[in-house]
Amino acid sequence: MVDLEKLRTVAKETISRDDIKYLIGWRQGTYGFRVSPCFVREPGEAEQLIYSPLCTNNLASYLIAMDKPPLPRGEKPDTRKVAVMVKGCDSRAVVQQMAEKGLEREELYIIGCPCEGVLDLKKVEAKFPHLLDPVTVQWNKDKIIFQLPEGAEEVPREEVLAQECLSCRDPNPVLADIMLGEEVQVWGNGEYQDVQEMEAKSVEERWSFWEDRFSSCIRCYSCRNVCPMCYCEDCVLDRLNPTWVYRSSNISENTAYHLARAFHLAGRCVECGECERVCPVDIPIMKLNKKLAKEVEEKYEFRPGLDPEAKPLQSSYRPDDKEDFIL
Amino acid sequence: MERMKLGKEKLGDFFAKLGNKQIYAPQKVGETLRFAPVAPEDELDLEFSNTTVPPKSVLFPQTETLYRYDLGSTDLNLPEDEVERVLFGVRPCDARAMSIVDHLFSWDFDDPYYLSKREKTTIIGLACLEPEVNCFCTSVGGGPASTEGLDLLFTDLGEAFLLQPLTEKGEKLCREAEDVLEQATGEEGASAEKLQQAAAEKIVRGVETNGIAEKLPKIWDSPLWQDVSEACLGCGTCTFLCPTCYCFDIQDEAEGLEGRRCRVWDSCMFSEYTLHASGHNPRPTVRERTRNRVNHKYSYFVEKFGIIACVGCGRCINLCPVNIDILNILSEVIKEEAI
Repeated sequence: MVDLEKLRTVAKETISRDDIKYLIGWRQGTYGFRVSPCFVREPGEAEQLIYSPLCTNNLASYLIAMDKPPLPRGEKPDTRKVAVMVKGCDSRAVVQQMAEKGLEREELYIIGCPCEGVLDLKKVEAKFPHLLDPVTVQWNKDKIIFQLPEGAEEVPREEVLAQECLSCRDPNPVLADIMLGEEVQVWGNGEYQDVQEMEAKSVEERWSFWEDRFSSCIRCYSCRNVCPMCYCEDCVLDRLNPTWVYRSSNISENTAYHLARAFHLAGRCVECGECERVCPVDIPIMKLNKKLAKEVEEKYEFRPGLDPEAKPLQSSYRPDDKEDFIL
Repeated sequence: MERMKLGKEKLGDFFAKLGNKQIYAPQKVGETLRFAPVAPEDELDLEFSNTTVPPKSVLFPQTETLYRYDLGSTDLNLPEDEVERVLFGVRPCDARAMSIVDHLFSWDFDDPYYLSKREKTTIIGLACLEPEVNCFCTSVGGGPASTEGLDLLFTDLGEAFLLQPLTEKGEKLCREAEDVLEQATGEEGASAEKLQQAAAEKIVRGVETNGIAEKLPKIWDSPLWQDVSEACLGCGTCTFLCPTCYCFDIQDEAEGLEGRRCRVWDSCMFSEYTLHASGHNPRPTVRERTRNRVNHKYSYFVEKFGIIACVGCGRCINLCPVNIDILNILSEVIKEEAI
């Protein structure tokens, strides 16, 4: 359990340091259960920080893909550290970014937040609809407590937790400069149950499933943009000359988009589930990512984002890698 | 024309009376509610607050072929003539959005693709009786039973719909289907009005829009734009799903010796949108892009066409992955001192 007082004290101390540019954390959103990422630059602003089961956003996304506006002539870039609050999965994204040399350790000050699972807002808002005033939510062992206008309500954790969190193996940050609170006990076994269910279907059934889901894609790119591992400066999907994927939204181009996105995350996806969370048309994107994660884990005994010194999967070779699947 | 009544069990019969018109109604595609063709016998689930994808996707499709061509030939194959369509179940906010978008597509150039579809489409509204928490139509000139942009308005009375014809097109539809319609009583009319009024009272969010169009240019350099946009991921959710956003790109797609020129939805929230060939980008960060989105809806469009290009449907608030909330931005704009 993270104590809010402690969080705000640590944040204040952090942001008061001369070598910190800003701190990225979470704050209460504008209504109901919403939470928004926030950038704290002044010690006084630390008061707005929160940490709760509603803090779904993986803030590691902001470390790497921020727009870099051109600097006015003569002005030097601000190279001070960025402080960032990370849950278990978020920390894996940071580690993987470092392993890929996208980030240097010295650029960061990492505030670790042990996590007991974040909520699926779609489930929560279906359960408690039409709430305008901000709602406070807390973890309490296997329950989630909602401080609703009519009083506190306890809900079993598995009813409202995000799908990815139910089988989470890494609730504790794997890397941090300072930890807020005690480590939590791991509850998930990392099983790939939904992947196995999909694998059990025939090719026709699987294609008809994905055809239906990909048809609804509006190509807003929120899944790509939110992903902490999608940080190419020049994305293949934005290319116009040559145009690898047409801008048209149809089953052919949408499929090309989703497969390109998923394949580029093979051995890199940290399974935070942000892509699926932000999809406005509810495409079950994690089923693709988890299939690739399962293949990578089974075939190469590799899970990304656990060791900043580890070589990325695609640039490593072990003589004893399995070969039984190579044609 | 008098107000009419249609028993709910006769909705399919009503559709069947509409001849060869293609009927579009809210349908699940994948997991998403959007307007898609339906047959009279299809079961409709009308227990929705609003569709995720607005009905603009029918009149202004995400991908639209402008013409096809063959390499080596100067002949252009234009798309076939538009069919007559009926859009059923359009919420009043989305219908107002279409009348707002009309300004653009008939402004300096009459857009033949949009306008021919518009001309051949009859829009049947469904009064909104259970507004969502982020609905704010009443702040921007609309209401849960607003009739602007609609040809015919349905109000759900429980067992039946009350039909209110609003235009010549709507009256024509009612005449075509007169066998399945009954004259509504004054009492039924009154109870529909009561439901509509109750719906307007259920709207909980809003903003004072007076003076915003004039204020926005005066706070161009305010730090508020960085504060409200910093968390933006630069995705296209807010614009693609906005019923009044109409930006498009034109692309050529060739395969072998055949090709087509098509237009596709584009979004001012993409960095690519304003990227110059030189590499320079006049809107280099989410700050400038967010500022443009708000200014376009609440200032530029007002200046050009005299109307706010936002209907308060709440989609951009509901679906933003990082809780960027236009009502919050507007209330900050109001508080901000003009520079």
